[in-house]
Amino acid sequence: MIELQHIYKWINSGGNRTFLLKDINLSIAEGDFISIMGPSGSGKSTLLNVMGMLDEPSEGQYVFMGDDVFKMKEKQRSNLYKQHIGFVFQAYHLIDELTVYENIETPLLYQDIKGAERKAIVADMLDRFQIVGKKDLFPAQLSGGQQQLVGVARALVAKPKLLLADEPTGNLNSKQGEEIMELFKKINEEDGVTIVQVTHSEKNAAYGSRIIHLLDGRIESTQ
Amino acid sequence: MLRNYLKVAMRYLVRHKGYTIINILGLAVGITCCILIMLFVKSEWSYDKFHSKSDRLYRAWVKEKYQKEDFIDITTPVVMAPTLQSNFPEIESTCRVAAFNSIFKSGVTSFNENLRMVDSTFFRVFDFELIKGDRKNPFPTSNSIILTEKLAKKYFGNSDPVGKSIELQMSLDTVVFSVSGIAKEAPVESSIRYTALIPFSNAKSYFSKNAMRSWFNINPETYVLLGKGVNPKQLEAKFPSMLKQQLGADYKPGNYIINLQPMTTIHLDASLPDQGIENISNPKYSYILLTIGFLILFIACINFITLSLGRSTSRAMEVGVRKVLGAERRQIIRQFWGEAILLTLVSVVIGIIFAAVFVKPFNTLINRELVLRPDLFFIGFCLLLIVIIGMIAGIYPALILSSFKPVEVLKGKLKLSNNSSIFRKSLITGQFVVSIAMIVCTLVIGQQMNYLQNKDLGYGKEQVVVVSTHKPVSKGMPLAELFRNELQKIPQVASASVALYSMAQTPWIDLGYTDDKKIYRTFQFNAVDPQFIPTMKIQMVQGRNFSADNASDATTAMVVNESLVKQYGWKDAIGKKLPGKFEQQIIGVMKDFNYESLHTKIQPLVLVIKPDSVYRRIENINVAAPRQPRISVRMKAGSITANIAMLKQAWKKVAGEQEFDYTFLDENIAAQYEQEKRTSTIVKLASGLSIFIACMGLFGLATLAVVRRTKEIGIRKVLGASTQSIVSLISKEFITLVVLAAIIAFPLAWMFLNKWLGDFAYRIDINWWVFILAAFIAIVITLLTVGFQAIKAALSNPVKSLRTE
Repeated sequence: MIELQHIYKWINSGGNRTFLLKDINLSIAEGDFISIMGPSGSGKSTLLNVMGMLDEPSEGQYVFMGDDVFKMKEKQRSNLYKQHIGFVFQAYHLIDELTVYENIETPLLYQDIKGAERKAIVADMLDRFQIVGKKDLFPAQLSGGQQQLVGVARALVAKPKLLLADEPTGNLNSKQGEEIMELFKKINEEDGVTIVQVTHSEKNAAYGSRIIHLLDGRIESTQ
Repeated sequence: MLRNYLKVAMRYLVRHKGYTIINILGLAVGITCCILIMLFVKSEWSYDKFHSKSDRLYRAWVKEKYQKEDFIDITTPVVMAPTLQSNFPEIESTCRVAAFNSIFKSGVTSFNENLRMVDSTFFRVFDFELIKGDRKNPFPTSNSIILTEKLAKKYFGNSDPVGKSIELQMSLDTVVFSVSGIAKEAPVESSIRYTALIPFSNAKSYFSKNAMRSWFNINPETYVLLGKGVNPKQLEAKFPSMLKQQLGADYKPGNYIINLQPMTTIHLDASLPDQGIENISNPKYSYILLTIGFLILFIACINFITLSLGRSTSRAMEVGVRKVLGAERRQIIRQFWGEAILLTLVSVVIGIIFAAVFVKPFNTLINRELVLRPDLFFIGFCLLLIVIIGMIAGIYPALILSSFKPVEVLKGKLKLSNNSSIFRKSLITGQFVVSIAMIVCTLVIGQQMNYLQNKDLGYGKEQVVVVSTHKPVSKGMPLAELFRNELQKIPQVASASVALYSMAQTPWIDLGYTDDKKIYRTFQFNAVDPQFIPTMKIQMVQGRNFSADNASDATTAMVVNESLVKQYGWKDAIGKKLPGKFEQQIIGVMKDFNYESLHTKIQPLVLVIKPDSVYRRIENINVAAPRQPRISVRMKAGSITANIAMLKQAWKKVAGEQEFDYTFLDENIAAQYEQEKRTSTIVKLASGLSIFIACMGLFGLATLAVVRRTKEIGIRKVLGASTQSIVSLISKEFITLVVLAAIIAFPLAWMFLNKWLGDFAYRIDINWWVFILAAFIAIVITLLTVGFQAIKAALSNPVKSLRTE
């Protein structure tokens, strides 16, 4: 599904070139559950953003489901992204002015899905995540764990093939974190959604089928 | 999608109430100004357009050249209209309009009324509404009269006036007219106004025989309706050959030119003198108002932009998330633009409500009767406002916010580029440029108004009552003299004087003659009695006043002013005669006095008792105001109402039924500056509003600046900064901008004021301290606005602000 070849990313500061990613070669198959680990500044998030097409590498090739991503037109890439990728953040990043229902609905709006269908999909999602009772609340009225639940529901509402999660449990206590991880596992196993997560926690990393260790922008080891 | 945007926008606006109120209130005030000004400008620019034939209607005016001097006459010879009509088939129709005063009487009701004498084509050429009567033949006889509803009601109450008779005082006789129709009053936007109309066939009783024939005697306005497709320029070119034939020996090429002025341009054409029957308006005031409206709106729009920029960091997160969720840039742009337009929409609605409330005081302010009507034009105007303001106010936030990269935003790495902070600073500076320039204008215009009211005019203007006889010289003089003699018996009257023209009633007569050295000279002229100079408290610098005991003074003496003596270059004027053929000897020289408004310079002036021999010696006479003797009465201190009642009683003794028409001299003088007074009030209000809106924006910005710098302030406090130093840290940023704005505003204000003051022959100099004062005011207001927030920030507990990280 994902084919990364010789991915480099650097920034020039002063006369020096600082590498964020150095010669990353990685292939991920559909249905994989990958955990990326590594110390702060090792390039985990950057790698995730490159995979999520939010960031462009300085060099290298990225093939996503058979398409060479960086050779595509902006519009095509945006469509590809909209249809297949969902994001979950450490800080949830729900829109404060929207209710739970509306937050989950938003990705569908950008895919031009008709109102009635949208309603059905969102209702289904609320049901599945057991947050029907909270649908009219605003993010500020929810606990962190509940907010992240909404975040995950929002990321999955458009039925993406790939779910990218940047430290999804970083702001949660261990019990809440565990719930989210169980949820991920379920999604991965039952729906076949490919998951790539960045994490600091060994325990959470162990939910993945493969763990990639990064150090100074390089893949140090895979297990 | 739209609903989602709308929901977000509404919730955002409600959540950030302060920000919303500042924006909406600022815009609404700006929009209110715009709507009111639009009403005024629309009215000004639509004069005479209601005539269905307005594109073919012209007013004829004459340019005469005499001894190298140009004379422009808006009123025209009586013979012009019929001559044009019979000579040129291109002219479909003509209509003359002449203005008079006459005493109307029906039963016991009698008043002095303003009257128009018009050709019977009046209702065919123009679109004035006739409620009762025949448009084609409105005046069945020479003694037919058409009244407006209001006048009909005044004389006939609620009964049907048609066919009833009314007496009019025609120069010497009383003539009975029969009401043949009722006309609706002319629309506000009309250059022809009337309360009563009589046919032009009555001209014989008003004009002298000479005036009925002469091309050099001017009286009615002449309107011309051209045939379809006739080019007025080509027609004008044909006039000279006709004039050559008509004027005979008096004609020289180029010395008598008839021009055609499109009727729809009359009201705002300031290139021709304002000497027609109705006053015209200077388009300058439309422009001043338009500029003011635009500037206030500009300030409100800037508030919108700077405040959205100030908030952009908090908004950026949402943009980042939306982009991650699949939003494209154009969708984000649309969202923010939509938000701006929504806000504008709310502001426009509030603005319309404000405008409806304030249209009345605005009418008083500009002396109009504007009506706020929701017609197609108005709705279109409001829609246009919404779109334009929404677009302008929303453009920067829409473009900037939509350009954020989600990765940077979501990591909290976002920093507004230096460019945008320069942009924001220049916008704030722009607001202050406008505000400071307006403060300067308010101060200087206020000083000039003060000067106008307090300048020593060279005569005493207090406690003088002016009584008009409303009668031509032959009848008015005896009446005035009778009245004066009656007044002299009243102890409360200090003195009374009869003159052709009174002070502040302008212009007096302009006379021109060629002196013995073939130099063409002009001077102003008035016929007075010996009491005039003492009554008006005019100072004599040389010689003596006319003497009532010296009968020969009436025909052989003249008193002149200093300006005349200066013009002729005399050292001692006493005993001299004007070089030429005048009989009168100069017996006294008066100190210069401003009988005209301070817009005009003092001209050479001649006063005599009996004017006839002077008229015989001059070549040119320009009489703009009717020669109707007036009595100026200087009262001793006392109750005004009691004094007036006494004067009224004396008037009744000599004039019987005729209305007692009086004015106060000081009020007449103040009336000369009506327009300026209005400008002054408008500028004062506008600068108040602009400062208010700018301050609201500033307050919002200061709040945001404090929020943005919470951490910095916390750190500084931990490091030992004093409250004072933090307040100055926050304030300095804004004060610098105000000082910069002041430097830009000064030359702009100076240029405008110089132009405005150029209208006055007597004016103040613009003082440098006015500028300093304006800048000082702006700085104080800024400090008060920003200081509140700054102090709040400086007093906050640093532990709290630093813990948030």
